[in-house]
Amino acid sequence: MSADPNVTGPKTEEIVLGAAEATRRRRGSRMVRLGDHMKREWQLYVMLIPTILWLLVFLYKPMYGLQIAFKDYSLFRGVAASPWIGFDHFETLFSNDQFLRALKNTIIISFYGLVFGFPMPILLALMFNEILKQTFKKTAQTIVYLPHFISSVIIAGIVITAFSPSAGIVNTVMGWLGFDPVYFLTKPEWFRPIFIGTGIWQEAGFQSIVYLAAIAGVSPTLYESAVVDGASRWQMMWKITVPSILPTIIIMLIIRIGNILEVSFEMIILLYQPATYETADVVNTFIYRQGLQGGQYDFAAAAGLFNAVVAFTLVMTANTISKRYSRTSLW
Amino acid sequence: MRNLPLALAMIGTTALTMPAFADGHLQIVDEPLDLSIHMHWPRSQGYDESYAVERVAREMTGIHLREATFGRNTSDSAEAMNLLIASGDMPDIVGGHLIKQPVNEYGPQGAFQPLNELVAEHAPNIQAFWDSHPGLQQAISAYDGNYYYIPYLPDGKYGRAYFIRQDWLDILGLQQPQTVDELHTVLTAFLNDDPNGNGLQDEVPAFFRNWEEVIRLVTFWDARSSGSDTYHDFYVNDEGTVVHPYAQEAYRDGLTMVAQWYEEGIIDPEVFTRRSTAREYLLGENLGGFTHDWFASTSGYNAALEDKIEGFNFVPFLPPESAGGVRMEEHRRIPIKPDGWAISHSNEHAIETIKYFDFFFSEEGRLLSNFGVEGETWNMIDGEPVFTDEVLNSSEPINSQMYAAGAQIQRGYWQDYRYEWQWTAQAARDGIELYDQHDLLVEQFLGVAFTEDEQVIYDRYWPSIRTYMLERQQAWVLGSGDLQADWDSYVETLDNMGYQEVIEVLNSAYARQYG
Repeated sequence: MSADPNVTGPKTEEIVLGAAEATRRRRGSRMVRLGDHMKREWQLYVMLIPTILWLLVFLYKPMYGLQIAFKDYSLFRGVAASPWIGFDHFETLFSNDQFLRALKNTIIISFYGLVFGFPMPILLALMFNEILKQTFKKTAQTIVYLPHFISSVIIAGIVITAFSPSAGIVNTVMGWLGFDPVYFLTKPEWFRPIFIGTGIWQEAGFQSIVYLAAIAGVSPTLYESAVVDGASRWQMMWKITVPSILPTIIIMLIIRIGNILEVSFEMIILLYQPATYETADVVNTFIYRQGLQGGQYDFAAAAGLFNAVVAFTLVMTANTISKRYSRTSLW
Repeated sequence: MRNLPLALAMIGTTALTMPAFADGHLQIVDEPLDLSIHMHWPRSQGYDESYAVERVAREMTGIHLREATFGRNTSDSAEAMNLLIASGDMPDIVGGHLIKQPVNEYGPQGAFQPLNELVAEHAPNIQAFWDSHPGLQQAISAYDGNYYYIPYLPDGKYGRAYFIRQDWLDILGLQQPQTVDELHTVLTAFLNDDPNGNGLQDEVPAFFRNWEEVIRLVTFWDARSSGSDTYHDFYVNDEGTVVHPYAQEAYRDGLTMVAQWYEEGIIDPEVFTRRSTAREYLLGENLGGFTHDWFASTSGYNAALEDKIEGFNFVPFLPPESAGGVRMEEHRRIPIKPDGWAISHSNEHAIETIKYFDFFFSEEGRLLSNFGVEGETWNMIDGEPVFTDEVLNSSEPINSQMYAAGAQIQRGYWQDYRYEWQWTAQAARDGIELYDQHDLLVEQFLGVAFTEDEQVIYDRYWPSIRTYMLERQQAWVLGSGDLQADWDSYVETLDNMGYQEVIEVLNSAYARQYG
């Protein structure tokens, strides 16, 4: 670095002007570059069109209908012609104890689902990765993927049978151990463990595919050099595999947090009873009973909008936190 | 007039040589008229223009229905109807499953044509039906006093009946229970005395496919569980007021007894989760002893299990006398279904359409809509429509055969019970005749139509109250909570949740509609 800028470098205003010119040129060239890119890779953009159309038709256009949350909506009058009523539907929603209970249940179920359900596919993927015998690995994978492809109705049937007090395997085993049979599915305190356990059993295997794909993307050279350095398999897993797939894990976590109010509602409908509403009734089942059975679309839209706002806030928060502390984020 | 004898002679000869309808007395239009129809119903999401019934109805009336069903890709009729209304493009006729609620909601807004005057002026057969069945026209009316659809009107009174294992009674040397106390004794014996003889105490004395039927047992203690064929519905009490059964003191005492029976184990301990397979499984495994279920299908098990379980005999018996000495069968077939058809606002041939609707209430039209085409699926024998042997002995169920021909589909028509009776098992027929000898049925609450203001109040309070009622109900039956001790706070909670407001709008609507 020279001590005298007047001798060796340009004047300050020249630097500023030059920078501005460079930015202008760069912007312009960026546009040109995008144009060039589109010309050169037009096939890629053609392939993008269906997705963009899908987004517009199925996600953006329906947003127009969100206004019915603030209207006295009639299917026949249409969205535009229905009268505005302000926040009436939201007032009805929040003055209802059962809605607040459902909200609480949703958060609790989702939270436990996250705590117990989220690590499961990661652990499975790590375990699959350590299996060396291919036939065993393939078989094990097929078995854990399988429940994902069974319809919820069948899964619920299996669960109801498994927990039946007279013929269910759970109570039979408990009987051998000297316990009295328990009618699990009518006990509010048992609903959440059964529901969350069922969810893990059904989905953990299938969700592990994402992590397996991420693991497959880890460069083999890292492992090779680790072997040269004398690392054990355990050390390789913790020091190479896990840090390498961490971005994937965080992205999946952010997505999962965005869906925290979306509890698998058909499964709850199939498993719950009035006797277990206390712990089982979630926002979606509440809306279903309250709104859709009576055709109250405006009311259901209000509840849905509330759900969306909460989910949006949660995703933004998670994304910001993640960006700040781990530099991994969705956008 | 000069040609009258000639005309008569011509009519006479055609009547001899042609099918009865060819004389044209049912003809509605001179020129063939096409009407488009939306017809969404569970068996088929559309109207098949090649139905035999459509073919003949077209010949008889000159009106041709053209298929224009919306939402054929969903099996949910209510959803299809919503799509149709939201599309704003309605065919001439809108028919099918679950149309009452939308028709009564959107009719007053202008989506459907009111039928009162049209029927009074142009539909003598429908008018005659209303005149001979008082109260039904009111029951389908919207809050503005008009009605907007011609319903499917089921025939036959009885739906469910009480069934008991007669062979188990014989084994244990017991009689059919005539009172609720005797029923308790019999069910206790089923539980303890091993009537299936396998040495295990595995019998399930009282079982039900729908857990709501457990609640129906409160009628044995003179309470009510529902006022219609829908569970948990309101009913009209002796003072003519609409009330909810689950807010009455009789229910408190009745449900206390039901909870006691449940605790004793004479009601299936798993009744809340066994669901639709309960009957199949518990009868098939020779475990179940008593139930409350449909006449026809439940009687069918005698034939089905004949070879599997020796002496199997599951028979309908009279409802036992309640604690107050009344025999009551609370369930009956509803006389009016929410299914049928309506005339949309865009239909320019309303008079022809209502005449076409009326055709299905004429003698010929009613036979056609119930049994299909004469000479094809049935013949008139001694003044009775009788299915051909081919139909009766087919491996395909008779109702499926009728649907294929376009009969018994959910247009607005008046069902004829002779259709079902012909293929009802003998055991069920005996049961129905037994029930018919007694005065067992109670009046049904056919529902009310709310004004928009009333609807708002009902929608705001009722779903939550209903949820609370069912939660407490199951909890009490399952033994968590003491019903007698909890009752006062339960009633107080109902009031806090708006029970009185709901009852108020129900009764003002009821007075307006039936008063």
